Amino acid sequence: MAIAVRQLHKLFVGEVSGVDLRQPPDAAMLAGIVAAADRHAVLVFRDQHITDQQHIAFSRTFGRLETTIKAYRPGFKGRLDPHVADISNLDEEGGVLAPDDRRRMNSLGNRLWHTDYTFKDTPGKYSLLSARVIPAEGGETQFADMRAAYDALPDAMKARIERLVAEHSLLYSRGTIGFTDFSAEERARVPSAPQVLVRVHPGSGRKTLYLASHAMLIHGMPVPEGRILLRDLMEHATQPEFVYTHRWRVGDMVMWDNRCTMHRAREYDVRQVRELHRTTVMEEASTLPRRHPRLREDDDGAARMTTHSV
Amino acid sequence: MAISVKQLHPLFVGEVSGIDLRKPVDAATASDIVAAADRHAVLVFHGQTLTDEQQIAFSRLLGPLETTIKAYRPGHKPRLDLHISDVSNLDEESRVLAGDDRRRMLGLGNRLWHTDSSFKAIPARYSLLSARAIPGDGGETQFADMRAAYDALSDAMKARLEGLVAEHSVLYSRSTIGFSDFTDEERTKLPPVPQLLVRVHPGSKRRTLYLASHAGWIRGMQIPEARMPLRDLMEHATQREFVYTHRWQVGDLVLWDDRCTMHRAREYDMTQVRDMHRTTVSDEVSSLEQAA
Repeated sequence: MAIAVRQLHKLFVGEVSGVDLRQPPDAAMLAGIVAAADRHAVLVFRDQHITDQQHIAFSRTFGRLETTIKAYRPGFKGRLDPHVADISNLDEEGGVLAPDDRRRMNSLGNRLWHTDYTFKDTPGKYSLLSARVIPAEGGETQFADMRAAYDALPDAMKARIERLVAEHSLLYSRGTIGFTDFSAEERARVPSAPQVLVRVHPGSGRKTLYLASHAMLIHGMPVPEGRILLRDLMEHATQPEFVYTHRWRVGDMVMWDNRCTMHRAREYDVRQVRELHRTTVMEEASTLPRRHPRLREDDDGAARMTTHSV
Repeated sequence: MAISVKQLHPLFVGEVSGIDLRKPVDAATASDIVAAADRHAVLVFHGQTLTDEQQIAFSRLLGPLETTIKAYRPGHKPRLDLHISDVSNLDEESRVLAGDDRRRMLGLGNRLWHTDSSFKAIPARYSLLSARAIPGDGGETQFADMRAAYDALSDAMKARLEGLVAEHSVLYSRSTIGFSDFTDEERTKLPPVPQLLVRVHPGSKRRTLYLASHAGWIRGMQIPEARMPLRDLMEHATQREFVYTHRWQVGDLVLWDDRCTMHRAREYDMTQVRDMHRTTVSDEVSSLEQAA
């Protein structure tokens, strides 16, 4: 069966019909979905009441899946398969987390604009998020079209950022909201990673801003100067005209291309249950040109985050 | 002499004419200016080529002046009188600062939304910024109307914010851009201070969000739980409908009410000179003690 796509936002986001995610797609359907994602960057599939196994099987047709980084914490007790990130406010027994629970504080980081796994050398390609339980109000997910954001930059800014490399760190982005409760083991397993700031999307050939709240400095610039540039770009890219707000229905599956979008969660009443399950298909390689130098030891972002001296 | 005021933005900002600030301003005119500021929150005076002495004399009519916090740093060599905050990219000999100069990095903090001296126990009431030299392009100052931002909040959010106390610290706001080069003496003199998040403006009686990038915590909350609403409120308050962008001309004096606005500087080519002189009128009382 051929898929049909209806665009939900003037720039991006396609609502896809004619697909049953309980069945792994055949080659033609897979190609159709990839082509739709290349064009629309975010795809919405309605009324897909699937199991985690079906979610994993469907996702795997696009590439290798990442396992949840929450498992890096010693003593972690997962509710779900390690290939499924538990985007919920539930503990391992399915009870709503206490207001001051560490996991709830950590997950507040999802309210910062980001794209998945930019803090890994090989970052996320597609994420697929399935809504199981949603709160009565709030808890939307917003998406920003980073191709359109790039296109709208003045030519002088495009020229200025063309070859820049940003360093991305999960510990940094969590630090910006005052969350620092990571074990030594977690810290060791999520070092920062460099990513180009402007990339060309291989599927569409379009240039796109590759940005996230994880971006903590720009290689070769004093930290404050890099941060201000990153903040200005973030503000530019998340202007209302580039943003689609997804109001969840139970059974929605939303698949987005991390290479050319950012997203964030919005606030909701955390006494109500919000349960979403996410898989992430990884890219095959770093975004850096092969010969790009890594941050030197004495140029380490973590050290420069706390000290700036001239 | 009566002043006249033309509103420049749908919500706020008055352009004031009919006054020469180089000459002594009488009490009646000063009270007209305060009334215009109560209404418009930001006042623009064009064609006022002031000396620092004239700027200080006019500012003092509105209350006692602050001295610059840059003087808290041992060895600080000012270009200007201590009552003038040097908002420029010039060193003490009026040369453009080097690309990586500490003072230039510190000055980048002005590109974050803030209101002046909210990190002091007794914060600022008015700031007056005079344009002496401006770059060819960029370097605008943007203002946000925090009364309109407050009015546009949902009733549930208004109820949630009422009575909350935020802690403001200039060391915190600078740390968010990775700047932490302060001496122990500066750190001791600049501890975090509490400010009400919602205050009532005594002149207009309007409720207003009292917010700045200096705000890093809300009392009684865990830090992440406080930072997220502070970020959301900042984003709400700086939506484009609440924002006026001032494109400077040499000779402009802009006066703003720090109690009910935020502002920030925009980027410019740092190899060009941008020389602005600011005086700051103290509010004389903490936001916590200011009766509604």
